[in-house]
Amino acid sequence: MSEVIASRSFRGLAAEDAIEAIHNDLESLWLDVPFVQDMDQMTFTTAVIESASNIVQHAEPAGREPVELGVDVTVRPALLQGRVSAYHAKPPFGTMEPATPGEDAESGRGLALIQALVTTVSFERQDGTNIWVLSRTSSQS
Amino acid sequence: MEFSYGIRESYTEVKADGRLNMVAAPKLREFVSDVISGGSTRIVVNFEKIAFMDSSGLGALIGCLKAARQAGGDLRIAAVQPQVKMVLQLTSMDKVLTAYPTAEEAFSNE
Repeated sequence: MSEVIASRSFRGLAAEDAIEAIHNDLESLWLDVPFVQDMDQMTFTTAVIESASNIVQHAEPAGREPVELGVDVTVRPALLQGRVSAYHAKPPFGTMEPATPGEDAESGRGLALIQALVTTVSFERQDGTNIWVLSRTSSQS
Repeated sequence: MEFSYGIRESYTEVKADGRLNMVAAPKLREFVSDVISGGSTRIVVNFEKIAFMDSSGLGALIGCLKAARQAGGDLRIAAVQPQVKMVLQLTSMDKVLTAYPTAEEAFSNE
C-alpha cells in the first residue's frame, strides 16, 4: 500500500465537544493535502462526522468507564481512510443496517448517508471496541 | 452556531452561521419553534453561511418544516451551499425541501 501523506488522530470522551474538535481536525488536514479534490474532502468529512455523531448519540458504556471516541484518518495518494472507534462501549443494539425512513422522519438517515458517501464502510468489534472503517477512493485515481 | 431572524414583508428569514450538526440541531429546532410561537409561520432558512449539515441537522430541519406546516405555514430553504446540497440529494430530501437561490425568491410566487 502506498505511503501515508498526512493523518490526524483524535481521542476523547464521546461527547458533543468532540464533534466540533474532529471537524476542526479534518479541516486542518485538508489544508495539508490540497490535491484532494473538494468533493472527496466534503464526502469523507461528512461520513466521518456522521459516524462519530452516531457514537456520541448511541454508544453506551459497557462498564464503569465512559465511552471514548477515537478517530484516525489517513490520506494516501488515491485513498482516504478513517477508523472511527467507540472504546469501552457495549456492542451496538440491533443490526447496523441502514434504514429507509419516510420523508417526514426526523432521524434514521445516518447509516444510509454514510454508505452513500464512501466507497466502502464496514463495522467491526474488537476487544470491546466498536469500529467503523471508512474508505473513499480519491476521484483523481 | 449563531441564529438570528428578520421579519420581511411576506415571510420571516432565519439565518444561521456555522455547522448544522448534532450540537446545533436541537438549537435550530428551539429557535424556529420560538419564531413560530411568535406568530411567524412562513419561514425561510437562509443557508448562505451554513457550510455543513449532517443527518441530525437535516432531521431538525424536517422537524421545523413540520412545525411550520402544523401552524398553517411553510418552511423553505435558500442559498444552499455545496455540502448541504449533496446531503439533500443523497437522502432524496431535495424533493421535499426545495432550495431557492435567494431568500427573497422562496415565497415570491405566492
